[in-house]
Parts: sequence; structure tokens; C-alpha cells
Amino acid sequence: MSQSDVKVRIASVKNIQKITRAMEMVAAARLRRAEQRISSLRPYAGAIRRMTRQAAEAAGGELGALPILKEHENEGTVAILLVTADRGLAGAFNSQILRAGIRAGTEYEENGKKVVYYATGRRGVSSLAFRGKETAGAYTGFTDRPAYANAREIAEALVAAYVDEKVDRVEIFYNGYVSPLVQEVRRETLLPLQQATILEGNDEENDGADEPTGHHALVEYEPDPADILKRLVPDYVEISVFRALLESTASEHGARMTAMRNASENAGEVITDLTLEMNRVRQAEITQEIMEVVAGAEALV
Amino acid sequence: MARSTFTAEVLTPEGEVFNGEVEMVSTRTEVGSLGILGNHQPLLGMLAPTALRLYQSETDIVTFAQGEGYVQVADNHVLVLVEDAIPSGDLDVADLRDKVSRAESEIAEAEEGSEAQAKARRDKRRWETFIAVAEGPAPTAS
Repeated sequence: MSQSDVKVRIASVKNIQKITRAMEMVAAARLRRAEQRISSLRPYAGAIRRMTRQAAEAAGGELGALPILKEHENEGTVAILLVTADRGLAGAFNSQILRAGIRAGTEYEENGKKVVYYATGRRGVSSLAFRGKETAGAYTGFTDRPAYANAREIAEALVAAYVDEKVDRVEIFYNGYVSPLVQEVRRETLLPLQQATILEGNDEENDGADEPTGHHALVEYEPDPADILKRLVPDYVEISVFRALLESTASEHGARMTAMRNASENAGEVITDLTLEMNRVRQAEITQEIMEVVAGAEALV
Repeated sequence: MARSTFTAEVLTPEGEVFNGEVEMVSTRTEVGSLGILGNHQPLLGMLAPTALRLYQSETDIVTFAQGEGYVQVADNHVLVLVEDAIPSGDLDVADLRDKVSRAESEIAEAEEGSEAQAKARRDKRRWETFIAVAEGPAPTAS
């Protein structure tokens, strides 16, 4: 390799490093915003949870009569929602979701069940298409900054499919946000609610708000608790989907930040190696030239 | 005469949009219009789309277009949980009309009596109410 070849390579690696470093910084800024959104959702999600519990207690035995709360007798069709990103370059972020989701889907299929895939994010949608899996619902273009309306669209499609008995079980796969460096694949069952952990008391996150219990008897309901639940439960599903979207977004930026930091570091190492290589080549060329001069001088003597 | 004040909080999934002392909260549940004054009895209500008005004083009124949601009154504190709460000045009528016509075509396409159709009907009602909030001071009950 000649000196100029090495120079060209160093320049191109430097350019790549600039890009990866910029992407890392963009991801870091977006990560901070995504984290804030998770924390601003918490009070709302906590209040919805408390209300559902309160209304469920008041409704008592009427719960089974609601189609959304009814467990289907035959669990023949399973809906799997894969939450991925629109863009790659985020390490194993997308592939680990696809792997986990498709593995679970294959398991269901082996047990003679039908699997319906739903996916968010272009990566998930196109990978499913590539593998020949049909998607019943594909939602793309918002994973950078999901809005509540996106979650509502997805949740309503899932709830409608469940109530209309097109599917008998709904599962969601997403990257749970643990820290900027750590994302874990989470698998949650959204419906039927009896199998979801949604109605159980203390969730992992304690929202710390004071719970005004103890005076249920005095509470006025407008309309009946059962009627309230009819809509509160789908809202619960929406909130769960929204939380998954937000966590996935935060995880995506975290994963990209880490991936890009590694890439920048690698680029730095490559540049060091190439610089050494270039010095060696240059020295070799100089030595070569001296030898030629000396050899030429000797020939004249 | 000054009314007694109480705290009101409006939360959406995107975060808090209002938190402060008010004299009255005016909204609408699925059953009918509702005005909440200080020392209201505990209540859990399901809200319908309407104009949500928070009276900080007789003349100082904060108005939002509210989507479906819930209201909880406990210990002289009003908690309004809604999916959408758009300040009345920020509504985009053209965009809302677009959404109404989209909902109408969804109603026509969906299977009669299905959940998908019920959802489209709710969408239509919500966006129509928002238009009413944007256009006039007094939205009519749908």
C-alpha cells in the first residue's frame, strides 16, 4: 500500500468518525427527552390504574359481562405486537425484538394456533415482510417521537380485534428501558385482562400519590361503575401500548448512543493503526530512495 | 361574591396541562353537564368530549377542548384525566374537518355493530365537538 492510499483511508475513517460522533450526540439529546416523556406519563398512568381498581371494586360481580373482560373459550388466534424502530444503526435493538417475537410466534404455531403479527417501526414491518409473515397492522413513521394518538390507533385496532373475536390473546414485545446502557426485551400479555397483571395491586413503579381509599361508599358514579369500566379498560390497554412505545423510543436512543460510541471508539483505533502504517510506509519509501541514491553513487565510482 | 377555591389538575398522557387554584370546573360527563364547585362530594365520572372550562375567577377562564376521559373528585381536589386537552386557541378547524370526514368513511366501511365502527363513531363525535369548541363559545350538546 502506498502512502497516498493510506492517507485516503485515514481521511475516510475520520469522516465516518465525525458522523458516528454526531449521531451519538443526537441520540443522547433525544434520549433525555424520551426519558422526560416517560416520567410525564407516570402520573396519568398511575391515576388510570387507581380509577380502574376503584371502579372494578364498585362494579363487583358485573365484570364478566363486558366483552373486553371476557376470556375467550378457545385460544385459537394470538396477536403479537412487535415494537421496533424506524431506523437501524442501534446495535441489536431491532433484531432482538424480532427474534423473540418470531420465536414466540413459531411456538404458538407449533401448538396449532394461528398467529397474527402487528408491528410498529419500519424495521419490524420490513423484516416481517422479508420473512414472509403477513402483518395485520403496520404502524410506521413515529418511533422517534410517538404521540398518544399513535398508541390509541394501535390499541384500538387490538381491542377491536379482541372484542370482535378475531383474536383471542394479545401479546406485546418491546425493549424495556432500564438505563441508557441497558435495554431488555419485555414480553407482556395485554389481553385477556385476567391473564394480564394489569389489575393487580402494587406495580413495580410506586407513583407515590396518596390513594383516597376508604370512602368508596360515598362516591358518586356518573354513569355506573360498569359503564365506566367499559371504556376505562380499553384506555388501560392504550396506556400500556403508549408506555411500551415510549420505553422503546428511550431504549432505541440509548442503544444507538451506545452503538455509536463504540463505533467512534473503533474509528479512533483504526485511525491510530493507519497513522502508524502510514509512518512506516513513508519511512520505507525514504529508506528505499536513500538506498537508490547510494547504489547509484557507488556504480559511478 | 368570591367563591371558595380548590385545586384542579388536568393530566394527559403527554403530561400535565393545568394545575392550580380554581373556583369552578365546568365539563360534561356521559350523563350530562357538570359544574364542580368547592367542597363537592367524592365523584368518579366518565367524561364526554366538550369544552373544559376552568374558572380561576369570574372573568379569568381557561378553556380546553377535552377528549374522552375521567374526572375524579376527592378531598376537595379535582383530577381530570383526558386523552386530549387542547387549549381552545390551538385548534385547527381544517385539520379537524379532515378527521371528521375520515371517521365518516370509517363508519361506512366498518362492519355494522362492530367495535371498529363504535370507535369511528366516537372519533367523529370527538372531532365534531372540537370544531364546535373552536368555532363558538358555547358548544352544543351532541
